[in-house]
Amino acid sequence: MATVTVQSLTYTYPKQAHPVLDHLSGTFPTGKFSLLTGVSGGGKSTLLKLIAGLIPMSATPITFDGHPLSAITPTQRASTVAMLFQEPSTQFTMDTVENELRFALENQQVPAEEIADRCDAALDFIGISNLKFRKLMFLSGGEQQKVALAIIVAMDSDVILLDEPFASIDPPTRLILLEKLVALCNDRGKTIILADHDLSGYQQWVDHLAVLADGQLTLLSTAATRERFAAFTPQRLQLTHVQLPNDQLTVCLQGTQLGLAHGDRQLLTPQDLSLYAHRTTLITGPNGSGKSTLFKALVRLGRYQGQLTYRQTDITKIRKRRYARQVGLMFQAASAQFLNVTVAEELALSQKYGDHAYFTPTRIQQLLQQLNLAGRDEQVLYSLSSGQQKKIQLLCMLIMAPDVLLLDEPLKGLDYASIQAVMTILKTVQQDLNLTLILISHQLSGLDDLVDLHLTLADRHLTYQGVSA
Amino acid sequence: MNPSLKLALLVLIALEVSFIQVWSINVALIVVSLILMLLGRITWRRLLWLTLVPLFFSSALVWSLMLRSSASTHFLIVIFTRLFVYVYMGGWFTLTTPPLWLTHSLEQNAKLPSKFAYGFLAAFNLMPKIQAEVATVRAAALMRGEVLHVWSPRLYFKVILAAMNWSDQLAAAMTSHGFVEGAPRTHAQTVPLVARDWWLFVGSLLLVQVGLFVGLP
Repeated sequence: MATVTVQSLTYTYPKQAHPVLDHLSGTFPTGKFSLLTGVSGGGKSTLLKLIAGLIPMSATPITFDGHPLSAITPTQRASTVAMLFQEPSTQFTMDTVENELRFALENQQVPAEEIADRCDAALDFIGISNLKFRKLMFLSGGEQQKVALAIIVAMDSDVILLDEPFASIDPPTRLILLEKLVALCNDRGKTIILADHDLSGYQQWVDHLAVLADGQLTLLSTAATRERFAAFTPQRLQLTHVQLPNDQLTVCLQGTQLGLAHGDRQLLTPQDLSLYAHRTTLITGPNGSGKSTLFKALVRLGRYQGQLTYRQTDITKIRKRRYARQVGLMFQAASAQFLNVTVAEELALSQKYGDHAYFTPTRIQQLLQQLNLAGRDEQVLYSLSSGQQKKIQLLCMLIMAPDVLLLDEPLKGLDYASIQAVMTILKTVQQDLNLTLILISHQLSGLDDLVDLHLTLADRHLTYQGVSA
Repeated sequence: MNPSLKLALLVLIALEVSFIQVWSINVALIVVSLILMLLGRITWRRLLWLTLVPLFFSSALVWSLMLRSSASTHFLIVIFTRLFVYVYMGGWFTLTTPPLWLTHSLEQNAKLPSKFAYGFLAAFNLMPKIQAEVATVRAAALMRGEVLHVWSPRLYFKVILAAMNWSDQLAAAMTSHGFVEGAPRTHAQTVPLVARDWWLFVGSLLLVQVGLFVGLP
């Protein structure tokens, strides 16, 4: 059991002028579930990493029951504080669940004869004994987060830190994990600090919300916390002119008995699916339900069951090189798209092979202005903020102007003004060049003008929504 | 046999074979490795790969030597069989030694610092991720009109960039699961190192020495 105290913590990232955490103070009491919220990029992750000791600091103003982490013997640190990461797959060293659990317990110098029992007990507590011998790589994001939590339970860490742990997992799994966390708090006296910007589903368990803004931490009163929860309504999708597909539409991509799987988990039960040309289709569905997997299958980066045709030709029979110019994908991670070092080089590559008749140098400059990216030509792509990367990435793929452009979370991490700009540009380009756009988005506001068709992925099935024309 | 000793044995034999030209020993080693692989139930597909690839390179090498130099037939046979010795011995080793078991052994028996032992294992576990990354980079390039071949520097630039990112993630993952460099650890499984392993090690080495001595012209 441990109370975490932070006293006047200031942290500035290397090569940055302004501190992300500025004289921040706060207390996270033993046996309490603390929920930390704030805007993205506001320093939530930084604070958690500092508490976990993952970012080293010379003199840390963070203490556990009065002791700084540096005063605790290195091998006992993991039993003092442990962290669950945002990206599920990046937190393991070993290949299977059992090996990873053993690895963690060996590090803590647990006697060899106790290791097996502690592994089993932890898996049992989270309810995933059936996953014991499975390969971590083939588990879903939700299962991986459960395993990560089981490891923390096995290590018996006093303080459990979670950095947006539900960002890529489906709602039922989220609920199970939350219940386990609350049980750890109440029954085992663990201190839990969870950072999340989505406040839905916490009200019954959290009395005081901690808000991180401008580098400072404020603990809200019970009344103010309730107010916040009440005011937080998950974004609702407002699509006013979405219609069911009709006979006049041309099919561009057609799946016949198309099925998708991740490892041995079926994501999409084989079904027929038509995607229509010259329209904008939005695909929605819970986290981890297989939307990105569908996109990967459409660009031949992933396996699928059944047959996929593009304009009546099986996509495996079209030359890879030719097909890649017809159906393009804007990856969810911007860095996956970039092939060069600077902004200018990246744009030049797109101009070389893309639609240069429409995207003249003047038009590109104008678009850069619109996206608030002018004058950054010589900047290294990887030093841009995630929002700026996203906008450059979108521009690069638009200049390529493939017949079908798949956009995986094109608005992720963008501020309001950028979303408006991106929407206007997408709409204009789509109409001018008569493109087919298919997008996945969790950001739902502002899409109304753009979207013509709406597909939902639920219960392993894709269905068109809307009224018939 | 104990994985660390097995590795040491193979490296020693490979070194000797590189310097001493006795083709009969090469053939003997090939036959022994083949028998051991068959006993280890190697798949035919894998055996075929392990044979065809060195066959291609050995033949090319021997052919070019025959055309371009006045090497003796004895030397050509030695060169031809040497590559098979390396590949077959390596094939037997990887077939019979799970990477995790080797890591445990290197850490426990060879007293290799755990940082290196787990570094090796992590690199091994990264293989499928690297393959996926290469496929993604090539697809991303195709969508932009660029064809990246296996020899394109741009492909390696991207993959190295990704690998650097993974190494940071891996370090964080290991730390968060309590790994501390140089700190003592317990072992859920102990890799046995018994007298039999040493007998096998010394016996096999001796046998090769005798063979080399007898076989020397």
